[in-house]
Amino acid sequence: MKYSSIFSVVASLVFSPGVVLAEGHSVSVQGPDGSSRKFSLETLDNLPQTSFETSTIWTDGVVAFSGVSLSAILDEAGFSGAIVRMSALNDYSVDFPMAEIGKDYPIVATRMNGTEMPVRDKGPYWMVFPYDADPSYRTKTAYARSVWQLSKLLVIK
Amino acid sequence: MIKRFAIYGAISGLTILLILLWSGLPGQLRAILIAETDDTQWTVFQLETEFANLSVALAQAENAPAPDSSALRFRTDITLSRVNLVTKGLGRDLWVESPEAREIIARLEGFTRASTALIDKLGDLSKQDIVRLSALTNSLRPDVRRLAILGVTLGTEAKEAERVAFANQLRGVGFLAIVLIAGIVGALLFLDRLLVRARSKDDALRATADRLSSTVTASLDGIVISNQAGEVIEFNEAAVGIFGWSRVEILGQKMSATFVPQHHRSAHESGMERYLSTGDPHVIDAGRIELSALRKSGEEFPIELNITSTQRDGEKVFIAYIRDISERKINEQKLVEARDRAERADKAKSQFLTVMSHEMRTPLNGILGVLDLLKTTPLDKKQQRFVQVAAASGEILLENVNEALDITRIESGVMSLSPDEFSLRATVQRVADVLRTLADEKGLSLEVDIDTSMNGSFFGDGSRINQILTNLIGNAIKFTDEGGVTVAVEGIHGPETTLVRIKVRDTGNGIPADKFEAIFEDFVALARSEGRQNRGDGLGLSISRKIARLMDGDLKVDSHNGDGSTFTLSVPLLRVATEFSETQPEARHVSSEIIKSVLIVEDNAINRSVLREMLTGFGHAVTEADNGLEGFKKAQGTKFDLIIMDISMPFMDGIEATRRIRQGNGPNAQTYILGLTAHGREEYRSKSKTAGMDGFCTKPLRLSELKLTLSGIRENDRSGTSLEDPIALEVIDDLRKALGDTKTQQTANRFFAELKEGLGALAQKSPTTEATVISEMVHKLRGSAGLLGLQSVENALDRASSIEKTEDYLAALKQAQTEADAAAVAIKSFLSPSDG
Repeated sequence: MKYSSIFSVVASLVFSPGVVLAEGHSVSVQGPDGSSRKFSLETLDNLPQTSFETSTIWTDGVVAFSGVSLSAILDEAGFSGAIVRMSALNDYSVDFPMAEIGKDYPIVATRMNGTEMPVRDKGPYWMVFPYDADPSYRTKTAYARSVWQLSKLLVIK
Repeated sequence: MIKRFAIYGAISGLTILLILLWSGLPGQLRAILIAETDDTQWTVFQLETEFANLSVALAQAENAPAPDSSALRFRTDITLSRVNLVTKGLGRDLWVESPEAREIIARLEGFTRASTALIDKLGDLSKQDIVRLSALTNSLRPDVRRLAILGVTLGTEAKEAERVAFANQLRGVGFLAIVLIAGIVGALLFLDRLLVRARSKDDALRATADRLSSTVTASLDGIVISNQAGEVIEFNEAAVGIFGWSRVEILGQKMSATFVPQHHRSAHESGMERYLSTGDPHVIDAGRIELSALRKSGEEFPIELNITSTQRDGEKVFIAYIRDISERKINEQKLVEARDRAERADKAKSQFLTVMSHEMRTPLNGILGVLDLLKTTPLDKKQQRFVQVAAASGEILLENVNEALDITRIESGVMSLSPDEFSLRATVQRVADVLRTLADEKGLSLEVDIDTSMNGSFFGDGSRINQILTNLIGNAIKFTDEGGVTVAVEGIHGPETTLVRIKVRDTGNGIPADKFEAIFEDFVALARSEGRQNRGDGLGLSISRKIARLMDGDLKVDSHNGDGSTFTLSVPLLRVATEFSETQPEARHVSSEIIKSVLIVEDNAINRSVLREMLTGFGHAVTEADNGLEGFKKAQGTKFDLIIMDISMPFMDGIEATRRIRQGNGPNAQTYILGLTAHGREEYRSKSKTAGMDGFCTKPLRLSELKLTLSGIRENDRSGTSLEDPIALEVIDDLRKALGDTKTQQTANRFFAELKEGLGALAQKSPTTEATVISEMVHKLRGSAGLLGLQSVENALDRASSIEKTEDYLAALKQAQTEADAAAVAIKSFLSPSDG
């Protein structure tokens, strides 16, 4: 166990230095007043974790996601407003009315099948719903709100 | 009922189908709403955008002095993350159907491997790396562009197919819904019609019930309805009228305590019980029956009853239709009594006539017999005339009595026919020949025209036809003063029978049309309107018609007043194909010359003495017996030459006596037995023949008839006259019957005078030179001789006409004269010897 974890760290350092992981990346949450707060992987890991298994239209088979629910992050940030504008690394953005955000879902996933996600595979942060749990999560709107490579949450009044 | 089930079934089926189709709809609807593939298209566009972004970033880095490796790596990672989207998940499924897309994706995967190898190197990217990455990126841009377009196309197609399927299903559901609605509407209409019909039926039922109750009330027949206990529960107006109880009085009362008569009550109760326990109906449903019932007043009366049973409110009730038939019964009784009275009266009349005619004939027998005998005694002219008048009156009286008896016998059905084979031609000819004398006397012609097809033999009662014809031709002569009488015989030939039609036409005064039927009625029905005798005065025509009808024929008259009358007798007769050749028992021949001893068996003393006088007058020895038994006894002891046997006698009748005499080897087993019977008892003829009688005579036995019979006995056959006989006595007898003794004698006298004159004239002729004249003269004389049955004269004349030698010719003429003289003597003795 110990060796394998050491080995994996060494291997990741030696064989895949170009693979950009979560370190260095964070989700910035900006309030309506202009103030903002950054949520790093560490910060997120310290918040209450939510996990579920589901299939998605972008992946093969059933996968397990874990992370922090959107409502928990917004609570933690302490901003309130009408809409959350979610932006991705490629500047894709979509608006999410605050009233429609569930208590548990969606989550900002930090891990898929227990591993962090590289940018090359929609990481490091991915907004996901438990699509199999409810047909309402398999709508166009839900798919549009499933922002991957999430980088910023802007709360608008 | 079946129709209704079919409709319900169809609606249920449609509903189930609709539910099944509809249950598929939400799924499809969800599929459309979820639109998972939509996102794929969006992803493909993103891929193209990212390739463009990467291309731009790489181009800038190529020209920059110190390119930012990490920024290029970041940009490349983002692009590669988009490539993942089209190679995995739903994105990959989109391309399965398109080989072109799969090829592009294979190249994209190649790009991923190549670019990953470049950017995953340690340290900064060299200029060369950047240029290579840029070239890789740019080379794939057209493919990415193509993939984006393909994505749109494929996605749209998939979408379209889904939409079409959905639309089809929607259409199906819609169609089914329409059908279902139509079906429901139809079912509603049907149910509505059922409802309407049920309502109208209900109305009709109610109307029927109303009508029924009014029918019961208004019925002319009494209607009484009772329950199982026999209590009256309905009693209509007519029943009130019949029985006398009012409705209020009788409702709830037991039938057995009210209108069922006392003596029927126990039977009524047990009948009800039996029916209720066994269901075995006796009176119920048995149709109309007649019973008696009791009125309130206690009077019992006959009713006609018809009981039916039915269910009412779950209980059996009995409905009785009752008709008071007391009046009808009384009328019926009256009718029966009237009929019986009429029958009794009719019977009494017939009996009276029969008895009377018998009672009258017995003394007539004596009178006529004695008168005959009286004529044989020496009388002066005056006495002769008196005797003649008395005899003629007696004969008329006898004829009337005979006719009356005939009528009675026909009406009471006693008269029967004795059909036998006979020659119609001979019968007609004989009657005409007999009556020609009468016609000649009045200067009338009598012509007979018999169709040649009627020459054969027929089977029928010839003597009855003879009787009718004698009456018809006799009448025709009697009522014609000028002209003549024609008898025409013809027939319509069927397969076996011939409808014989004999027309007797005269040229007399004729008969008015309104009397056509009256002349056939019994003389008692006609009133004499003038002094002159009319047709129908006697019973002749009435009897003739009755006999004709008895033979299944008829007798009709057609006449024009002043232009004569035609009587037509039509009778169906069986034709006989072959000659009658039945072998008859050898006849017993008796010659009058050899008759010496005669046994008379007759119960009536007067008749016996008359007969004895006649026979002793002929020179016979007579023995008498006054009944059959005594006659038989006497016949056992002595041999007789002739036995004259009355048929109806006390102790033993003539038939039985004859049978006994014929049995065994008594002395008289072969003796000629002559039967005697009352007139109109022809039915005894065959019986007596079977018993063994040889001849048959009808009372009263006249002297001439007895003589004829005695002389005819030698050849016990009417037609079998011997050639040697000077005269055929039965021809004279026929004449006598038609004309009477006196006229017959006159006719004979006239002929003998004519013959004498004729023979004298013939003697002057020469047979060698005047043969034709002789032949004509002889022919005329021969005809007259034939009419009188003078066969010996005929034969002599025949010989004379065929001889050429003069002396032989004269000898023949002389012979004819001799024969004629002998015949004259014979006729004179046959008829009343003193007369004429």
